[in-house]
Amino acid sequence: MWFFACSSEQNHVQGVDSLAKSKKASSVVTYRRPSLGKVLWQNKTLILMCLPAIVFFFVFSYMPMPGAYIAFTNFQYNKGIFDSPFVGLRNFQFLFQSGQLTLLLRNTVLYNLAFIILGNVLQLFFAIMLNEVQAKTYKKVSQSVMFLPYFISDVLVALLVYNLLNYDYGFISHLVRSLGGEMPKVYQNANAWPFIIVLVNLWKSTGYGTVVYFAAITGMDSSMMEAAQIDGANAWQRIRYITLPTLKPTVIILFLFAIGGILKGNFGLFYNLVGNNSMLFKTTDIIETYVYRSMMNSFNFSQSSAVGLFQSVVGFFIVLGANAFVKHLDPDYALF
Amino acid sequence: MRKMAALLIALMVLVMALPMTGIAEGAIDTSEHVKIVYLVTGDKPTNRTDEVLAKINELLTEKINAELEFRWIEWTDWQTQYNLALATQSGDIDLIGTATDWLDAWPNSQKGAFLPLSEDMLKTYAPKTWESVSEAHWELCKYNGEIYLMPEDNYAQWTNHGFMYRGDWAREAGLENGVHSWADLGVYFQYIKDNKDGVIPWDANGNGSSYSPQMAGGWQASHTGNIAIEGFPVSIFYGNSKDDPYTLSRYYLEGDELINFAKEMKKWADAGFWRADVLNYTGDVAAEMEEGQTGAHQHHTQTWTGERTTMERKQPGSDLGFFWFGEEANNLIALNITHGAMAVAAQSKHPERALMVYDLMRNDPEIYHLMQYGFEGEMYTVDENGLFSRPEGFEDGTDGVSFNFWWGRNDGLEYRNAELDWDAIQKLYETYDSVKIDYPYGQYIYDNSMVGVFMDNLSNVYNTYMPRIVFGMNDDPEAIVAEFRQALQDAGIETVMAEVQSQMDAVYKK
Repeated sequence: MWFFACSSEQNHVQGVDSLAKSKKASSVVTYRRPSLGKVLWQNKTLILMCLPAIVFFFVFSYMPMPGAYIAFTNFQYNKGIFDSPFVGLRNFQFLFQSGQLTLLLRNTVLYNLAFIILGNVLQLFFAIMLNEVQAKTYKKVSQSVMFLPYFISDVLVALLVYNLLNYDYGFISHLVRSLGGEMPKVYQNANAWPFIIVLVNLWKSTGYGTVVYFAAITGMDSSMMEAAQIDGANAWQRIRYITLPTLKPTVIILFLFAIGGILKGNFGLFYNLVGNNSMLFKTTDIIETYVYRSMMNSFNFSQSSAVGLFQSVVGFFIVLGANAFVKHLDPDYALF
Repeated sequence: MRKMAALLIALMVLVMALPMTGIAEGAIDTSEHVKIVYLVTGDKPTNRTDEVLAKINELLTEKINAELEFRWIEWTDWQTQYNLALATQSGDIDLIGTATDWLDAWPNSQKGAFLPLSEDMLKTYAPKTWESVSEAHWELCKYNGEIYLMPEDNYAQWTNHGFMYRGDWAREAGLENGVHSWADLGVYFQYIKDNKDGVIPWDANGNGSSYSPQMAGGWQASHTGNIAIEGFPVSIFYGNSKDDPYTLSRYYLEGDELINFAKEMKKWADAGFWRADVLNYTGDVAAEMEEGQTGAHQHHTQTWTGERTTMERKQPGSDLGFFWFGEEANNLIALNITHGAMAVAAQSKHPERALMVYDLMRNDPEIYHLMQYGFEGEMYTVDENGLFSRPEGFEDGTDGVSFNFWWGRNDGLEYRNAELDWDAIQKLYETYDSVKIDYPYGQYIYDNSMVGVFMDNLSNVYNTYMPRIVFGMNDDPEAIVAEFRQALQDAGIETVMAEVQSQMDAVYKK
């Protein structure tokens, strides 16, 4: 995502550049729109840089798309996706008949909102702080340390959390008891988990997002800062009036990307932290874990694909809606 | 006209010669060297399996110009990986180890994962297997009139579940004859809790729902005559009793026994027989028991036979006993013959040769012994009583051989392990033999197409409530059972029961 943000900015710069060139030429000939081939040729370096991403999305996102048809079939292994019998919308019934849809949607959306909002605020905050730090080594080291949790697998994270919080032998339980307190049974208390899960997620993702924003800040035109400094703006004013407005497009793009997945939960995180502990489901069950629990015995590809398709289609319309809203506010910031 | 006659005669000759060419082809064409891929559950071995496989491949090449290759489905997430491998096959697998009770053999047959095996194919390419399996047993391997599975029907084993417990501690607890009921088990656990410092009576790893059907079904077997019906995604379908097997039991919907179970487990949970966070704990119970950190392990008889020897070595005098579910009510079902079976992959490019390979694996003494025990003399020896033993310092993990061939073991070729305590095992098996009944539902294969949607929601209800009932994680056992039953009703249990009953009636009440 960050890659796109950068490259589109560069594109913009190059566009201005070529416009200037063509202006020079236009003193002799009238301006003609360059052919597609010419545009491609002119931007060959940029296109080459984009190629890996284009190939990636083509292979992993566009090529499998026709396979979504599986959601409308009674899938037979020996017949393949397209020759299996068509059953219409029958596979979509399952989620709606479960009687759990409201709870699942509520949990999924609320968690994602918490992740997106708190996550972005924290990431911005740390990115700006990093930018203000002058000591180079300190900056590099702290950046790396913050980034690290991003690479720890959810399985390990769950194990860490269990070893901290479990009632009988957990580290925190020991600590609380040695201080004479009474440790609550965290793994039997559903109300504690929204906090734990959000906290763990923030711990894992803040470093990554911080680097993204930090990169955007580094890419800012430093002359503005210098000018502001000369005019006597203090640090707070510089952040408020220069850094934050400059970051606005990046924030909006990242937000629009994130909101498309608002119905999709992070299965690895939730399933590993909560597992099949049904005492916690009230506040921790998301669409993915519910589907997993229901399907793990029957192994029904069609039905699970139907749920996935439902999430994607709804996500698609939410993105469209959010984009239209952004466009309405300020057309410059819209994705398309 | 003459030309016409000549043509006709030529045609006649051709037609008459056809059967001859047929016979000539009866000798199976094995000129092409093929590789047969064998899909098997288990972790990729790090012992001497590859060496043994190379030797077996020499033999297979010599006999039928084929060789065998493994494709392992490792235990991590095996259910998903196994079904995924079957669903995405593209001629990359040939032989598939499967089972009707723990590896979804019937749903996979219904979804087209396996090749239907005609009698001719079996007779031609797996003649020894064809002969050794009785007609009645082949009947149990059919779906829609076609054979899909080759059953492991000549191998005595018991995989009924129960609790392994330490005989020495049971005697200390005053249980002179050991643990033989849930009530005894409660006494045993309480004794450990009170007297063995630092030992958790049963340090269950309740993360993952595998204990739910075992524990709930275990109590049910011990307190009713109900008989579990295999092949359902949710373990709530039972027949009434051996006298009335084809009427569905309403145990999970009404009656007091489930409430009694919930109350007892709540008592056990409150007494601290397992850890408070059992539902998120992922430890290795068997290993803990071997280290003396826990007093029980819940698994099946076959596991106990080996574990008893291991425990004797690691905890001398432990005298590991086995309390089997259903013991109080003498409610025991013999193992279904398709608890292990081999199938041929639907997309296999060499189904004939795959069958030939299987026939040798199952029936050829030399290959069978290599597969099961390794190189004779070097890796094992057999005494005059037909008992095999391993050399001094032999470790299975590094020196052994693991083909995980659980789909056609053959008592005609098996050696008994000299290390196992055959007196104890024999004693238990005799008890089993005196009370067992045959699995009554071999002919019935559940068809999920009518009520699948309900079944998935039932599956969720079960996986939501049952762990909390089994491990007593609730404030009021009576209330949670009531809640569970209401949720089953809301998820459409009555519709599903009616459908299952009518499917059963179609098979058994003609």
